[in-house]
Amino acid sequence: MSTVGIIDAHLHIGQPGVFFSPENSPEHLLETMDRLGVSHAVFTDHVSITEGCGATLPALREISERSGGRLHYLAVFSPHRASECLAAMERATSWPGFAGVKIHPSFHRVPAEDPRYEPAWRFAAEHGLPILTHSWSASDYNPVQQLSTPARFEPLVGRFPSVRFVLGHAGGRGAGRHEAARMANQYASVYLDFAGDIFCYRLIETLAATVPVEKILFGSDYPWLDPRANLTRVLLAEVDATVKLRILRDNAARVYRIGEQPC
Amino acid sequence: MNLDDLEAMSREQREQAKALGFFDAGLWLGPPEGFPFAEELKPDQLPALLESRFLTGGLLSHWHGKTVSAQDGNGKLLEIVEGLGQHFFAAWTALPLYPAEAEPVPGKGELPRNVRAARIFPKTHHFPLEEWCVGSLCDWLSERRIPLLIWHTEAEWDPLYRLALAFPKLPIIVETQTQKILYHSRPLFALMLNCSNVHVELSNFAGQGFLEYAVREFSAERLIFGSFAPVSDPFVPMGLVLDADISDREKKLIAGANLKRLIAEVRA
Repeated sequence: MSTVGIIDAHLHIGQPGVFFSPENSPEHLLETMDRLGVSHAVFTDHVSITEGCGATLPALREISERSGGRLHYLAVFSPHRASECLAAMERATSWPGFAGVKIHPSFHRVPAEDPRYEPAWRFAAEHGLPILTHSWSASDYNPVQQLSTPARFEPLVGRFPSVRFVLGHAGGRGAGRHEAARMANQYASVYLDFAGDIFCYRLIETLAATVPVEKILFGSDYPWLDPRANLTRVLLAEVDATVKLRILRDNAARVYRIGEQPC
Repeated sequence: MNLDDLEAMSREQREQAKALGFFDAGLWLGPPEGFPFAEELKPDQLPALLESRFLTGGLLSHWHGKTVSAQDGNGKLLEIVEGLGQHFFAAWTALPLYPAEAEPVPGKGELPRNVRAARIFPKTHHFPLEEWCVGSLCDWLSERRIPLLIWHTEAEWDPLYRLALAFPKLPIIVETQTQKILYHSRPLFALMLNCSNVHVELSNFAGQGFLEYAVREFSAERLIFGSFAPVSDPFVPMGLVLDADISDREKKLIAGANLKRLIAEVRA
């Protein structure tokens, strides 16, 4: 663990189409990580989110290997391309840097509790891998977020208690955050990352007071958002340094097995 | 990394934050709208907020200026800011000058001495952001060099561009709340390129590399630190500045010097 520093547990690589992004390459990411003291990161890419991981994992493996094992990748499971995703995921189970599964019910327009996600959960359970999901609150101006509200995941969380399950974005800025906190308290397998613009005042202090601290993970959502926005919130938060270390390193290391697998 | 390393990182950021003198363009009093977990910031809580978030002062706004009426919010701000001393100024809510409306609103007589900015909510208050409707207000503000604040969610980009071109001496500060400005980064940067009187506030200006890109393209003078507290955490935009790959001089400009200069230039 001594060679593992801060872990960014939620980011993306590649050019996003929906906004102007001046910086997003793997090389730039590594430079940014070096500047901020971030040693490792867990990533997906925009092609995988759009099409599923059927054809993308070799490229992610190559990025991971070029990084010297600092970048760990997730396989995006698309319920629209389940069989090809599963086949690719099976091939990747022995690959270095393969850290788990990512799902995105809002992007794929399939509700989180839909049975079409079961193969991904079964795969994660069989291989001892975590699942990271997009989660958010119901939104007036973005109705598809309704498909990823935390409570929707509950039936599958209950059926697959061995799967370490990370609610990305901690349920968002609205009622979803309460659901996410409740689930992190209720289920041993449920974790929260606060990647994204969950910029709520005193969020770190609030989460640390209401959720077991071993359940909270630092993430940035790079290149959508700048890692400095969330990193400084932890470094300057009014919480004990041991709590900061868990949030910035220990919890992600445990969930994604970083520091355990050979690089 | 061990605990000592982490504490050293935290200490370094704390000291740098104190040294930069952050002066906040977006401190909001009154009950917030649309953010279910945000608690109301009361005037007597300002000193604690400033101390815990390493702020030196700022521009106060009142939610009632949006949610109730311009007059209600402005009246409340006037009472509050009078008792707060030299580190705080008020941003009043403005309306078109015609038809003439009840006071207190910008455009009637001179502004009280602690009111140093105006903000408009064209969508909420139902008026077009077009010269034929807000031109006289913009003339009045422009003559006095009073900065005009506007949330990006309250404007469309075309009329904002036309307005910025029509009133080149009016300092316009585009605020990046209450939804991600990220998805509007293309028109935002094009607006900044075409209109040198347009500035951007930082509370949600958090896309990867946005800050350095804007400094390179338009200069640090165009960026204004703002937090949108107590809805959002001042540590978010603070982090963007503290670790930015820019000079210390540029950091100081963004942290507070730019806004203080705009306030000092107001002719009231």
